[in-house]
Parts: sequence; C-alpha cells; structure tokens
Amino acid sequence: MAELTFPLPDLGEGLIEATVLEWLVAPGDQVERNQPLVEVETSKSAVELPSPQAGKVLRIHGEPGQSISVGQPLIVFDVPDDSAGIVGTVPKDEAPKRRVRLSAVLDED
Amino acid sequence: MTETTYAQSATGAEVHTTHIQEPRVLSMQQALNTALDEILASNTKALVFGEDVGHLGGVFRVTDGLQAKHGSSRVFDTPLAESGILGLAAGLAMAGFTPLPEVQFDGFAYPAINQIVCQIARLNYRSRGTMPMPITLRVPSFGGIRAPEHHGESLEALFAHVPGLKVVSPADPHQAYHLLRYAAASPDPVIFMEPKARYWQKAPVEAAPGDDLAGARIARHGRHLTLVAWGAMVARCLQVAELAAEDGIDVEVLDLRWLSPIDGVTLAESVGRTRRAVVVHEAPLTSGLGAEVAQLITASCFDTLRSPVERVTGFDVPYPSGDLEDEYVPNVDRILYGIQRVLEYKRG
Amino acid sequence: MSGRHSGEAPTHTVEGTDPRLFVQVHEPQDAAIGNRPVLLIHGFSSSSALNWEATGWVAALLGAGRRVITVDLPGHGRSAAPDDCDSYSPSRIRADLLQIVTDAGARPLMSGDSSSGLDVIGYSLGSRLAWEFGATQPELVHRLVLGGPNSADPLADFDLSAAQQHLADGTPIQDVSTAGLLRMAQLLPSNNIFALLSLVEAIKSEPFDAAEAVPHMPMLLVAGDQDERAVTLPVLASIATAAGTAVKELLIPGRNHTNVLTNRAFKQAAIEFLAP
Repeated sequence: MAELTFPLPDLGEGLIEATVLEWLVAPGDQVERNQPLVEVETSKSAVELPSPQAGKVLRIHGEPGQSISVGQPLIVFDVPDDSAGIVGTVPKDEAPKRRVRLSAVLDED
Repeated sequence: MTETTYAQSATGAEVHTTHIQEPRVLSMQQALNTALDEILASNTKALVFGEDVGHLGGVFRVTDGLQAKHGSSRVFDTPLAESGILGLAAGLAMAGFTPLPEVQFDGFAYPAINQIVCQIARLNYRSRGTMPMPITLRVPSFGGIRAPEHHGESLEALFAHVPGLKVVSPADPHQAYHLLRYAAASPDPVIFMEPKARYWQKAPVEAAPGDDLAGARIARHGRHLTLVAWGAMVARCLQVAELAAEDGIDVEVLDLRWLSPIDGVTLAESVGRTRRAVVVHEAPLTSGLGAEVAQLITASCFDTLRSPVERVTGFDVPYPSGDLEDEYVPNVDRILYGIQRVLEYKRG
Repeated sequence: MSGRHSGEAPTHTVEGTDPRLFVQVHEPQDAAIGNRPVLLIHGFSSSSALNWEATGWVAALLGAGRRVITVDLPGHGRSAAPDDCDSYSPSRIRADLLQIVTDAGARPLMSGDSSSGLDVIGYSLGSRLAWEFGATQPELVHRLVLGGPNSADPLADFDLSAAQQHLADGTPIQDVSTAGLLRMAQLLPSNNIFALLSLVEAIKSEPFDAAEAVPHMPMLLVAGDQDERAVTLPVLASIATAAGTAVKELLIPGRNHTNVLTNRAFKQAAIEFLAP
C-alpha cells in the first residue's frame, strides 16, 4: 500500500489558511470520491471540502479549532500501490472472448 | 539488490551506474519508477519534472516517492503548460542537464508540438552538433482505461514523421525498465510512449536486457504469419497468437519497440520467414505508422510475400471516450479477421 | 415538470424588465420522480456558490434526490448589478423569484401530489425573503427552512450615509453593526459594493415586518447558538406559532452566523424536514 497526501487546497479569494471546524471522516474510514471530508472556516466563509479521491483514510491533520495553511497536509489516504490515477480506470486483464475462427489450407512450399 | 559503479560522463556530470541485479516481478509503473530512481541516482544532471510528478507522485504513480528521495530541485511540479515544460527541457538540455520531462497524457502533447518539433528535434542539427538534446519525454499513451477525451490518443505517427526525434514504446515491465534507461542515456531526444493500459500488469524484470535494445524484438516465434505491433497492442497480439494456434496457425509476434527509427532488418528477417504480415495499431488507419511498416516489408519481401500486408487499426475518427473505446481499439476478433484475410489471399 | 432536455429555458421579464439573475437548476443523479424542487436563497454579500455550493448544501440535497434551484440575488455572484434602486427591493426580488421557480418547473401545490409545490431554504437575508415568499405564495410553498433568521432585518438599521462617507474618504463608521456589515461585504473582492448599498437602500424602504404577513406552511428555524445576528429567532417562532403555524426550532451548538452553514446536523435536519 502507498500513502497519498492531499494538502489544504487553494480556497480562492487570496485566502492563505483555514480553521478546522469538524472532521466528517476518521482514520480507518473508506471514503468515496467527492464525499465530504471536513468543514473548514476561513476569514470569509465556511467551506465543506469534498474528497479528491476514493480510498481509506490513514491520517487527518488538524483538530477542530486548529488552523492549517494552504498547501499543508490535510489528509493522508492509504491506496493500493497500483491504484489507478486520478483519470480513468484500471483495465481488467481477462481472457479474451473470440467469435472469429481461422480456416486456411497452408501450402508449405 | 543494486550495485553502484562510478564513471565520469562526457559532460562532466558524475555518473554512477546502478541497476537491478536479480529478476524482480514488477508492474510497468514500478519498473519505470525503479528505472527513474536509478537514473536520478546515477546521473547527477538528470531532472524529472511535469504536472503532478513531484508531490503527488504522478497520476499513474510512476514518479511516486522520487521527490522525497531525490529532492524537490531534481523532481518537481510544473504549471499546467506543456509548451513551458518542453521549452524548459530544451533550455536545460542546452545547459548540460539530462531532462526527463513528463507530459501527463498523450493529448496534452499538442500544445508542446512547437517546442518538440521546432526546437528539441533540430537544435543539434541547427547548431552543427554542438547542442545535443538528451531529453527523454515520457508520455502516457494509447487508450484502454476508459478515460475522457485527450487521454487515449496514439501520437506515434506525428512524432515519427519528425527528423531528429526517436520514438519508442515498451510493451511490458522488462522492456519499460531497460528501454527507459537506454533512452535516458541517449544523446538524442526520445519520445517515450508508455502504454497506460499496461501500467498495472506485473511481469518479471531481468537484470540484463536480453537483446539489442536499439531494435525490434520477436515476442513470440511462429512460422505462418507475423503480427507487427507496439505498446499495448503487443499483449493483445500475443493473445491472438494463442487463439490462432487453436486453429493450427502458428503466428509470430514482432514487437517493433522503436517507431523511429524502425528496425527494417528484423522486420525483413521475420516476414522473410513467415511470408505473411499483419500490422496492428490503435491509431487511425490513414497515414498511420502501419503504412510505413507495410512499405518496409513490401520493399524487402516483395518476392516471397503470399499476400499484401494487412492493417488492423483504429478508425479515422477522433478517439472515443469511455465504453466506445472497446469498439475502436483493435480487439482479438478484428485482428483474427485481418489474419484470415491474409491467409485467404489468392494471386491472379 | 420541465426536463433536463426539454429545450431552451424560457426567459420572462417581470414588470417589463429582465432582471438578468443567474439561475441554476441542479438535477439529482438518480432523479427521484415526484420530488418537488427546492429553492435556495442566499444571504447578504454572499452568493449561491459561497452560501450553498462550497458549503456542501447543493451536493447534500442532490444526494437526497432533490432537484435544486439556486439564484444569485441582484448585485451578487454572477447576477447583474443594475443601477436603479427598484431592482433591489424585496418585493421586486420576490416577483423575480416567483417567475424563476415557475420557469424552472415549480407548480402549485396539489394535495396528494408530492411533485407539486416548492420547498424553500433561506439563509440570513434569504430567510427574510423566504418568510415573505412563503407568506405571499401559500398555494405554491410547501415548507420553509429559515437559517440564521432575524425578526428585524439588520440591514434596515444600516447607516447608509456613514457607509458612503467611509467609502468616499475613510471617515470611521460609528455604528458597530454597519461597520461589521460593510467589512463583511468588502472581504470578497468580487462583491459590487455599490450594488450592495443599493440593496440596503431598497431594504430600508421596505423593512422587514415579520408579523405583517406570516407564512402558514410548516417551518424549521435553525441557527448557531453563537449567532449574534439570530438572537431573535424565538421572536420569529412565537410570531409564527401565534398565527397557527407549525414551527420547529434547532440550535446548533458552538456555531456562529458564518460557520453554521457547513454543519451536517443543520443539513440533515433540513433534508428530513423537507422529505416528501
């Protein structure tokens, strides 16, 4: 298994940090892509951050009330070494199904 | 597991030679990761950069852990600007570095065509050999992973048409490991097309290449017909060869590996024996590399060929997204049909 | 109901002018047939994107199978910021909202038909608008959820001339509430301050009088227990109860006017309260 760390994303409007309000997931949870992960509050608004990917939560950073800077680690996922990238799906390596049969009389001259 | 020897390169960079010493079963991702790790460790001028290759470790995990190990000055993230990535590569090569840039997906290479074609491919020529471009551009290529548009394209014919570029595509982890090391040691720019559909399949990687990495290789020996393929289509052709054997047809599979320059000698030797050939590629038919291969075979084997060379390819349409790619990428039945057409051919 | 592919969305003018409000209709992935749409009305100096999308409300409602209509108020978000003050008056906004939800497929309530009618969720200023919308559209509105509500619109007491003076030459604003509201509005570089001041001016001409028109459909009132702008929530509740309206109240511990919005208990209570 490999660790995949996601930092606090750029929240726009020139914001450089956010305060953790409440975690909606805990280490050990299996989360889906886009599932809400955490509520954070900036100097301007409160935001619910969706998960950038599916995976098992390994660690979370920041207790409620603690502030995290943009770019600092927010959450660490445990993902299979060979899990697909952010785009596409892992193809299945399965035995091919055929419909076409070959027929030929081969002259071996 | 690894052994290090020291040497001095021509450019003055400190070069250590490290490589795996005993066979290891690796996925192509891991094989490429291992090769990059060794290249970075052995060549102090080597740099790995591109979109998300650093902190994230690449969208296919190929550069996983390299930034932590070799530092963010040698493995780094770039802005989302392919023209900038390749422009940077050209400048670094001029300054004596060995750039190993990544373009995240095949279809993202188009914005960098100017830098690749007008600069990287011809700076050595333009400078009368004083500005070699030892750049290895890694491009996750071809289809097969149900990705959206621009994530499944086959650009080999575009690049192979450009004088000054080398183009190579590995078919399995062993080829990936050795060809990447070979490409990174080349003084010429190499477009390294990684078949993303084959990233996850594991296979043994031997310590020694096993053959001359500069040319094509016979992936399966056969007597009746040669299937010519590269990248992800090699594995499919090997499946087809097994199916053809059930019908008594002994198919040879030739993994072309280098799409520029093409190894015409191995092609001529193989088809000279089997007298029949089918070329398989994912790219569209018209002006695809299959036409070039067919002409090389015809020129060398015209007298003994039993049939015109057949092509089994993608269609002349933009690469389709999602489930439609099963209809587009040559499947075993379409390749078997191609073989049947060659077997049925009658002169006169 | 107007389906996703039923053609170009109709545009209608209200009182002869197109308000050029930015409207989005969000369709749930598993379109639960027969659910009435939910209209979301954001607060002062906010937008649908900030108030409802970034906070996870749109995703939560879509996940519950609800069709969601969001609209940016005039001078906010991606809506136009007209020069005239009338475009910002609460009565004009209510008329625009009625046209928008009708165009988006909302139909008058019919007993026994859970696809008929409209649920409305408002926040802060949006709660005031939702209260009035519910009171004036009893045949359309099914239920109300009012977040961070106030029995008297704080914008009505806004010291407009002090704010204009402050913007012109930096003269400090004496009134604490006015200074706070202006600071909030200026935090977002995307805000059009002069459009927001037009809204304040229009609200001052039509101040909120909760008792004047009381909604009779069931309502849920929600606020953070640290919300200084919603301390009059019980007053609103008693006005509605006195008028015979079924009222539920929910206080979210530890949350204030800004950060109650992302709270899961708030969202869950709203989704359950509005469940068909």
